[in-house]
Amino acid sequence: MNVVETSRLTKRFGDRVAVDEVDLHVPRGSAFGYLGPNGAGKTTLIRMLLGLTKASSGEMRLLGRSVPAERAAALARVGAIVEEPRFHGHLTGRENLAVIAAAREPEAGKRIAGALARVGLSARADDRVKGYSLGMRQRLGVARSLLADPELLILDEPTNGLDPAGIQEFRHMIRGFVEEGRTVLLSSHLLDEVEKICDQVAIVDRGRVVVQGSIAELATDGKQTILVETSDNEEASRILGEHRAIESVTPENGHFRITLHPDKQAEAAAGDISRRLVLGGAAIYRFEPTRVSLEQRFLEITSRLEEAA
Amino acid sequence: MSMRLINAEFLKLRKRRGLVAAVSGVTIGPMVITYMVLLGLHASNPGKYGPAGGLENFQPSMDVLSTLTIVAAVLIGATLGTGDLTAGVFRELVVTGRSRLSLHASRVPAGLALLLVPVGVAFAITAAASLVFAGSLEAPSGTVLAQSGAWIALVAALSMAIALGVASLFSSRGTSIGILLGWQLGLMPVLLAIGSLGAAREGLFYAATDRLRPAVVDANTTVPTTLLTALIVLVAWTAIPLALGAWRTVTRDA
Repeated sequence: MNVVETSRLTKRFGDRVAVDEVDLHVPRGSAFGYLGPNGAGKTTLIRMLLGLTKASSGEMRLLGRSVPAERAAALARVGAIVEEPRFHGHLTGRENLAVIAAAREPEAGKRIAGALARVGLSARADDRVKGYSLGMRQRLGVARSLLADPELLILDEPTNGLDPAGIQEFRHMIRGFVEEGRTVLLSSHLLDEVEKICDQVAIVDRGRVVVQGSIAELATDGKQTILVETSDNEEASRILGEHRAIESVTPENGHFRITLHPDKQAEAAAGDISRRLVLGGAAIYRFEPTRVSLEQRFLEITSRLEEAA
Repeated sequence: MSMRLINAEFLKLRKRRGLVAAVSGVTIGPMVITYMVLLGLHASNPGKYGPAGGLENFQPSMDVLSTLTIVAAVLIGATLGTGDLTAGVFRELVVTGRSRLSLHASRVPAGLALLLVPVGVAFAITAAASLVFAGSLEAPSGTVLAQSGAWIALVAALSMAIALGVASLFSSRGTSIGILLGWQLGLMPVLLAIGSLGAAREGLFYAATDRLRPAVVDANTTVPTTLLTALIVLVAWTAIPLALGAWRTVTRDA
């Protein structure tokens, strides 16, 4: 079941289309990355999902409920951080959570202590928020989103402004939420972050979702590549060039990058290739299946779009 | 609207030390000072200055207190209407799924809870002083005091509701305070004093509140109006800004 579903969701600001007929499907129990450059419309989409701004057209469902028609029921089990988490600086961390808990179900108030402990803020909970660092505010934002006991967490650029240790801590926290069965929808412009945290991803550019699927699927695009280095590259080049499972052979600094046809069984093809190389007299120094990084794939997709534009 | 929401709004207000100090200072402080000065004058020269209390001093004291109550109400209403927006917390409240209308509505009782305490204390000081220090002067009766207390509470509540509505509409605390104080303390008294405006002045807030003021305290009524007209005017003055503020709260991008 998908916890977020949008259909032709669109948001216009005058003539400018910020979100352009987006069809998004976020499966339950996953960490889903909504990945795109700054200004691609990520925050606008999240703001529509959360009822912070109206959609110009299209439909959306959160946790199986239509939004905005059943917005209150849908958001009861959604926690969110939109952009930088904001608080009343004159109130303590605990009081800020109490203010939000008051707007939620009565049980939310009982979750305050647990949420503060979960993010490691119990000791500073009774300090005023205006004295908190950015990292502490981010953690308090997470604690606030946990008051809903959320099935779905929507986090918009959650690691902005965090130091490397804070980012790592955040990643562990998010993976912890997914292991508890919660779904995390994470918007980010940081490819590395999405690749390390998420199982599924949608790449968005200029308001449109260009591609979506699992990280592994998107990174390889269904194709397996292998780096090959042998004792006799001339003979290896001939053997590889003739092999029917190989789509392309690219020489790279003393080795070859071979790309298999997507319809071939990768493991069987790799075994056959290595066997033929050895039988052909080319001793194998390196035979390394590789994974195209999400970054390479992202750049490939966006540069293709730029060429088309 | 729930008690939990009202309590949360009240928490946000009462934790603003500067606001609580300002509201207390602007209501309680002047009344204490007024009666201390009157007592001092009477003690220094009883022949020239009469007793500090009595109905004679109660009437002008209520004039001062009603003006100060409006100032306090404007400060609280403007803070209530813009506090969440200014802090950026409004969107966090909207994300809970709670209706924006109930968020707006819960601010009214929370604001009144904070406003009526210092106004009540200031009125209690005024009432007590007018009785205790009446000396040879006629003291206000219990009925007059009860009616005056209810009247000042009404002025406070309506002024706060107007300020909340205007601040929610304009979304700026400073702008709202400027507009409200300019109108309530500057322009409206001037319009009331322009006789050529005739019956049109019955539509002004002060004309309506003056009509409801206890007769014995009513020293400066300038525009005669019927009770029904006064009630309609007060409902309109309160409901329209509140409704506009609610509309803005419901429709704005959070």
